[in-house]
Amino acid sequence: MKNKGSVFSLIPYYAWIILFVIAPILLVGYYSLLDLDGNFTFANYKQFFTSVYLKMTLSSFWYAFLITVFSLLISYPAAYLITRLKHKNLWLILIIIPSWINLLLKTYAFIGIFGNKGPINAFFEKIGLGNQQILFTDFSFIFVSVYIFIPFMILPIFNSLDKLNPALMDAAKDLGASRITTFRRVIIPMTMNGIKAGIQAVFIPALSLFMITRLIAGNKVITLGTAIEQQFLVTQNWGMGSTIAVFLIIIMFIIMFLTGSKEKGDAQYGKNK
Amino acid sequence: MERISKGAKFYLAFVMIILYAPIFFLIFYSFNSGDSMVNFESFTLDHYKAVFEDDRLLIILINTIIVALLSALFSTIIGTLGAIGIASMRNRKLRNTMLSMNNVLIVSPDVIIGASFLILFTMVGIKLGFTSVLLGHIAFSIPIVVIMVLPKLQEMNNSLIDAARDLGASKRDILTRVIIPYIKPGIFAGFFMALTYSLDDFAVTFFVTGNGFSTLSVEIYSMARAGVSLTVNAISGLVFFVTIILVLGYHFISIRKTKVGVRK
Amino acid sequence: MSENTIISFENVSKSYSDGTQVLKDVSFELERGKFYTLLGPSGCGKTTILRLIAGFMEPTEGDIFFNGKKINKVPANERQVNTVFQDYALFPHLNVFENVAFGLRIQKVAEAEIKQRVEEALKFVNLAGYGVREIPEMSGGQRQRVAIARAIVNDPEIILLDEPLSALDLKLRTEMQYELRELQQRLGKTFIFVTHDQEEALAMSDEIFVLNEGNIQQSGTPVDIYDEPINRFVADFIGESNIISGIMVRDFVVSMNGQEFECVDQGLNPNEKVDVVVRPEDLELTSVEKGKLVVTVDSQLFRGVHYELSTYDEAGNEWLVHSLKQADVGAKIGLDFDPEAIHIMRLNETEEDFDKRLESYGAESDEK
Repeated sequence: MKNKGSVFSLIPYYAWIILFVIAPILLVGYYSLLDLDGNFTFANYKQFFTSVYLKMTLSSFWYAFLITVFSLLISYPAAYLITRLKHKNLWLILIIIPSWINLLLKTYAFIGIFGNKGPINAFFEKIGLGNQQILFTDFSFIFVSVYIFIPFMILPIFNSLDKLNPALMDAAKDLGASRITTFRRVIIPMTMNGIKAGIQAVFIPALSLFMITRLIAGNKVITLGTAIEQQFLVTQNWGMGSTIAVFLIIIMFIIMFLTGSKEKGDAQYGKNK
Repeated sequence: MERISKGAKFYLAFVMIILYAPIFFLIFYSFNSGDSMVNFESFTLDHYKAVFEDDRLLIILINTIIVALLSALFSTIIGTLGAIGIASMRNRKLRNTMLSMNNVLIVSPDVIIGASFLILFTMVGIKLGFTSVLLGHIAFSIPIVVIMVLPKLQEMNNSLIDAARDLGASKRDILTRVIIPYIKPGIFAGFFMALTYSLDDFAVTFFVTGNGFSTLSVEIYSMARAGVSLTVNAISGLVFFVTIILVLGYHFISIRKTKVGVRK
Repeated sequence: MSENTIISFENVSKSYSDGTQVLKDVSFELERGKFYTLLGPSGCGKTTILRLIAGFMEPTEGDIFFNGKKINKVPANERQVNTVFQDYALFPHLNVFENVAFGLRIQKVAEAEIKQRVEEALKFVNLAGYGVREIPEMSGGQRQRVAIARAIVNDPEIILLDEPLSALDLKLRTEMQYELRELQQRLGKTFIFVTHDQEEALAMSDEIFVLNEGNIQQSGTPVDIYDEPINRFVADFIGESNIISGIMVRDFVVSMNGQEFECVDQGLNPNEKVDVVVRPEDLELTSVEKGKLVVTVDSQLFRGVHYELSTYDEAGNEWLVHSLKQADVGAKIGLDFDPEAIHIMRLNETEEDFDKRLESYGAESDEK
């Protein structure tokens, strides 16, 4: 594909890479080494390794883990069932549409739904459970997050399931595999890349959510994202904020590395090129 | 195709209801003449009227749309040229490096993008407001455009370019008469995605905007923090309506394109 | 270089940056208005020659001349050459008319002339009225024709065809062979056709170049190449043949497996090792007593026009026989053939020497 573009037309793109991809990462690294007065220090890193921040990191991980697991458990069967439907592409669009509605609006809806006088509590009172505090709890945070991430989990899994050659399942049956064995030994391994992509699409944002925690969980749940927002915009401690960001970036790369799909797997089914 | 069982259908229906219930819940109460999402008193369009009578809200709406259109336009131009550049790279290693660089912003959490852009704009001395928000949106939309355009370029057969050269086309001719028309569906998809990403963005804008400039997402956030306001519900109704129209429009465009493509 | 030469290669080599050499010191001349075929297995360099002529590549060494002018560095878009690609390379975003008009529009030809020339070209390939069709609506054979129309509409001096028939089914392919040949004769332009299909090459060409591993093995008319292959590779690649190692005992006598046969070849060194070619259709079934060769029938296939027999002589050489008569599998039979059916190939003979030797036979038989 030589001679496709001249050097000049690429200048804006290269400028973008330098200014908005490389420079920001370097700047975050640089700021993480500054204290409030702009002096060079390792204090931020020292502080990160104190129990307060480590505990927060762990709890952020735990929430992200729960959110990812629940999203996966709900999404995989849904994606699988959609691939078996007649108008599967229409159904897929129906699944995706909610993901296009502004995130804030969806979150806002739950303030009403989970509210003290909301429909859920009304239902609880009817069946005699009485009024419950749902908003500003761990449950509401995880529920709303899972709700928001489901379409992002379904999409990659659906794509990998959809690419499966149905003849492979017939072949497995033909060779004597039961439905469960086929599922475990053929379908799951072959859709692993979709699962990994889904995990990647959910876990990293789940670590860094901050507006859901603010709106739904009050200030009870603090994720890495909330902490960064707090440091940057509330306490104005950019150094500490950058330090947390550095760790979030490192975690992000680790997860990308762990869930990165191997090229071999893609090449086998050819379509990804 | 195997028939799916009743239980399976029930499960799918359940997932669908969960996905749509909150949205319809919001829209339902946008017609409530009361002032909360609790008791539906009677039907009214007052909240919609309120949206259109609120000058501040309308200015924010216009800002949001201008930022979305401009950022989508610029990111589509830069991203398309970038995709053509990446596709033309002969060196595999270099190409993969460029692709990874490209994807950094796609996988980065919003908070990181927002925080790092905040540092960048402050250091460079760009005033926080319209310019910084627009630049930020262009920046995070470029890689999405590249991702949408690149497959089209890769699917394009090299012999098409040979054929154009063979028929006397110069480099410029090849770009404007062969490559761009061929990847047009990808460019449209990229523009469209950039538009939706910009409209949907909250976190990056929240970080890099200053006093006096706001987009819809940021405004909804501050309204929602202040408590329930049915004006937000009315905005939801409008957003949902516009989204559906956009989705349907996009769907029909892409269906028409693939129909022509499939018969190859 | 004669007046009539349109393309000539002088000691052209082509290597890639990774060191693989795809063309090794190739020289040849092509005359105006003829149908040439570059024939060889994949990787033999035939497509490379085509791409060098089209201008998609530059030679690593040597020179290429077009009408006597060196064109090594002239880019493809400035050459009077058009290509019909293997996958047709039709622009999917343009309809049939616009595909054909592409080159004319680039040259900024007036609209009225474009319309007239495109319609003429479409008529030429029997696609009159198909202009408004989209490419995906066209069948494989029709796309083929669009690709040809797109090439001829620019009125190039040379038309290059890169295995254009390989994607078509057998029946359509045969039809297109006739059409292409007829088209070339009507246009009177130089066609350079690349293929790996020997039947295609034999059927259509004025002259064939057989290539292998970056070298031209042999060039000549289809009949020459079929009847007098220069070496084992050519004999094997063109048609089916029985190739047996032998020894040229003396002029007009060759020995295979210790048995001597009369032949028409001469001028070789006494007792020189040679390859002997006998085409299967030149072998005739006869009784064991009358046969010059005695073989056992191993298997027999009915091929429609003839039976194809696989037989073995006592030394274990396989002899393929095309016969109108049937034989019994397992039976011993005799094979008869004329002295002219034997074709002797010297080992490692250059094309030049080979041509000289063949010419000398002609001179002597004329004298007789």
